[in-house]
Amino acid sequence: METTFNRRLKITALLLVLAGALLFFVSIGSLVKLVVISALLAYIIDPLVSFLESRWMGRTAATSFIFLTIILVAVAFSFLLLPILSNQVTTIQEGLQSGNADVIIARIENLIKSKFAFLGLRELDLIDKVHTETVSIVNWLFSHLLDVVSLITDMIIIPFIVFFLLKDGRAFKKQFISIVPNRYFEFALNVLYKMDMQLGNYLRGQFLDALVIGVLSTLALWILNVKYFFLFGAFAGLANLVPYLGPVAGASLAVIVTIFDTGDMLMAAHIALAFTLVKLLDDVLIQPLIVAKSVDMHPLLVLLAVIVGGKFFGVLGMLLSVPATGFIKIAVQESIATFRKYG
Amino acid sequence: MNSFWGNIFKSRENEQDDILTILKKIPIFRDLNNRDLNRVERILHRREYRQDEIIFHQGDPGLGMYIIESGLVSIVLMPAQLTIAELYEGEFFGELSLLDDSPRTATAVAKTPCKMLCLFQPDLFDLIDLDSRLGVKILLGLSRTIGERLKRTNEHVHILKCLKIQPETP
Repeated sequence: METTFNRRLKITALLLVLAGALLFFVSIGSLVKLVVISALLAYIIDPLVSFLESRWMGRTAATSFIFLTIILVAVAFSFLLLPILSNQVTTIQEGLQSGNADVIIARIENLIKSKFAFLGLRELDLIDKVHTETVSIVNWLFSHLLDVVSLITDMIIIPFIVFFLLKDGRAFKKQFISIVPNRYFEFALNVLYKMDMQLGNYLRGQFLDALVIGVLSTLALWILNVKYFFLFGAFAGLANLVPYLGPVAGASLAVIVTIFDTGDMLMAAHIALAFTLVKLLDDVLIQPLIVAKSVDMHPLLVLLAVIVGGKFFGVLGMLLSVPATGFIKIAVQESIATFRKYG
Repeated sequence: MNSFWGNIFKSRENEQDDILTILKKIPIFRDLNNRDLNRVERILHRREYRQDEIIFHQGDPGLGMYIIESGLVSIVLMPAQLTIAELYEGEFFGELSLLDDSPRTATAVAKTPCKMLCLFQPDLFDLIDLDSRLGVKILLGLSRTIGERLKRTNEHVHILKCLKIQPETP
């Protein structure tokens, strides 16, 4: 009787601690976001540093070398690709604000009214609604994503955290293990190692997959002579980090903007076909080769993760929620599997 | 202030020297030079056990090897609670777990307060990935140690067989 009571007390205490930890993390949301992004980047870059280390370079020298290379590549890409990207964003904005989009929206409105007259639809005010939504999305983008001060702060803090995670990651792990009581020491080490391996494979796989999808989509759109090929391709690659929803979102954005911008339905159909082919190639060829299957997540779990991530941390939270859920899934899965072995 | 930092670094250096001295005595690391031993030292975990504390249980998944830095450890077969070996400072046990994931074949108990150095399979495999030359030296040392233990076991089996064939005359 007393044992059951004690067990219940322990479970309640554990739940309270977990809830407290969750509240604490939400309250220091921006810091958590920085640490999560840094940890994910460190996981992706780590094999490069280890490779150089295996070629007789010290860990610090290898980390510094990789860092310098990444910074140089990033700077080169910024000079080459940022003008294209900003040019394409401006052109879209101008295109959506021109009368062309209004004509198409009016056409769609008329089509809906004539086809669904039995529903009693009179005035939809689609043009006003689209304009209001566009303005609010652009305002949101400027206030959140293009906030220069926080962007610069993040650009300094994230590389700083990534550098030390890469350089001293093993020492941090050893320090963490040293505080685990003797009784759980081997168990913790076992779980940590397996989690580390699986999570690393999963994140690197997701990153590579997103990169390949981004490049393939950009190429396909460029061949189709789509005006904003780079913007849509980059968005498709980034959106691909969110399984199930990402590829649909990537293709939808390209199709909708093309319809509103040019009114060319044939081009929109070609874009949809191109994205379908890229997705098919991804499912048949790319994913089986590079994405770890051990972190298969149910579509419902992905949807819930994206909603929760978006609720607490915005768009970035939506992107990071899937790898974060992958991490939690691996942690729980490995803890249970190892716990069973320890009987 | 200088003496403060000096003391801290000195104690860390002394600790490292002690560990290197112990590692040099372990047959597995016989072929390693000081630079190699330093790399091994970096992946070792240091643990302290109280008297009668269990280091690992028979049947637990084996994850690595323990080197006794100080103290006395008993290796006990369960459930008979039969002590099959008593190990002292500089000796090691559990080395087979560096090669496979099979369960521990006996329970290890600290008979006195013990300080241990632990080398675990994942860390060893990482080291092999990073420095295959050093990895080969360690694996060769490990094979030699296991080979010697196998020879000794064969000799015991041989003696036991002989005793069975030629029972003592009353």
